[in-house]
Amino acid sequence: MNRRGDRLEVRAFSLAAATLLAFTLATPAPTAPTVDKIVADYVAARGGLTKLRELKTLRQTGRIFAGQGREALVVREVKPPGRIRVQFTIQGVTAVFASNGTTGWKVSPFEDDMQIKDLPDEVTNEAIDQTDIEGPLVDWKAKGHTVELAGKETVNGLATYKLKVTLKSGAVRYSYVDVASHFEVRVDSTRQVKGLDLKIETTFSDHKKTGGVLFPRRIEIAAEGRPQHARVVVDKVEVNPALSDALFERPTLPKP
Amino acid sequence: MRKLPFLLFLAPAALFADVVYLQGAGTISGKIVEQNAEIVQVDVGGGIVGVPMSRVDRIVKARCPLDDYEDRAAKLAANDTAGWLKLAEWASQNGLPMNAHDAYEKALTSSPDNAEARQALGYTKLNGRWLTEDEAYQASGYVKYSGEWMTPAQAQIEQTHSAQEKARKDAEYAAVAAENRADEAEAKAEEAEKEAKKAQEAQQYGYPGYGYGYYGGYAYGVTSWPTGTGPGLGAGSRPSGGGRR
Repeated sequence: MNRRGDRLEVRAFSLAAATLLAFTLATPAPTAPTVDKIVADYVAARGGLTKLRELKTLRQTGRIFAGQGREALVVREVKPPGRIRVQFTIQGVTAVFASNGTTGWKVSPFEDDMQIKDLPDEVTNEAIDQTDIEGPLVDWKAKGHTVELAGKETVNGLATYKLKVTLKSGAVRYSYVDVASHFEVRVDSTRQVKGLDLKIETTFSDHKKTGGVLFPRRIEIAAEGRPQHARVVVDKVEVNPALSDALFERPTLPKP
Repeated sequence: MRKLPFLLFLAPAALFADVVYLQGAGTISGKIVEQNAEIVQVDVGGGIVGVPMSRVDRIVKARCPLDDYEDRAAKLAANDTAGWLKLAEWASQNGLPMNAHDAYEKALTSSPDNAEARQALGYTKLNGRWLTEDEAYQASGYVKYSGEWMTPAQAQIEQTHSAQEKARKDAEYAAVAAENRADEAEAKAEEAEKEAKKAQEAQQYGYPGYGYGYYGGYAYGVTSWPTGTGPGLGAGSRPSGGGRR
């Protein structure tokens, strides 16, 4: 919750990073590895292709802290292709947002709305994008994405490879893979907020394995030019829980 | 001892709170403070949430985190800083942020400089002073725009974008209004033409001029009269004209 502390830390890291960068530039650069090598190391660090392929469903339970006292319990359930259900609980009130891979719906008592409503297309599409449990880097060629090495950058004091990932849909993301651990430590994307394109930085840390696959347990989401961070603490990861398709379908209510 | 069976019978009801399941998805858990055919009111520990009964699927008695919080809080002494901190973290982990906030506040009462409680409540220590989240952002040069803290440069971008959006919407509105005015003028012209024709016909066939006015008055009266009692009108029908309601 100490955001000023975090900012100071980031500034200190940035200063150290600038110094390191100056030294790096002054020495001959070693040959950069290929995209295929970077991605292969990343896949191996996550637990390997075999383990990743065994992921059929996923449930993550945690808490999100959005500053100004905003805090919620979050349960995120994913069942590819395209199925996702996110439950937020604040002070005993639980809202549900879900998609079956084609359409999205919600019941959100926080918005004083107890009825089932459709999610806007852009929200549904963003949700569906998140259902690739493996992540877009795994098997990117077969998925129709393109990946290019866009240089090296320092993220929170870590030297990283910056990969430009152009999804099949045309959306562009930048993925930062730690040179030493091969973990993905940051992803930059662009999201429409109130009609304005905002660069969103998502940083991942506190990685731990569940079912042989690595998952970040701390996720920070920040928008460019804004000091507030939404912080997600993942308390529990369940690999391959039983999730029925019906969970993701828009409920049909009996006619009154 | 003779009272024991009665107490045991009462115990489950006293221990369990209520979970209101909404139709389709979503729940509200807490203590029902009022329930009638129209609405159920649930005290969720940070306020009352009203749910229309038409949206309720079912209500079940179940022990909920709020019950545990209240039990644990009742056992803590006011000056038990460690106890309140532990309870606050537990409340946060169990989806009770308002109770967590209260528990951190209680910890601060006995230990005003407690860093864990201060940080959990959003305070930042600057030059030996605890500042609220807003004060800290302000002190760091951020500005609040549209309810969010941001850099002055970002606020400028958003302000310009809002102004452009407003100008675009105003222009759209003006265009629609102009189109409506043109339609209105056209309709008026048509009306005037009809009136002139009718006047000409009345003059030609000897109709009194007030007949047309009377017809209009009658029509409004009929439109506003049958508020759910007239033939073919349901209870929800609303009068569309002036007059009696």
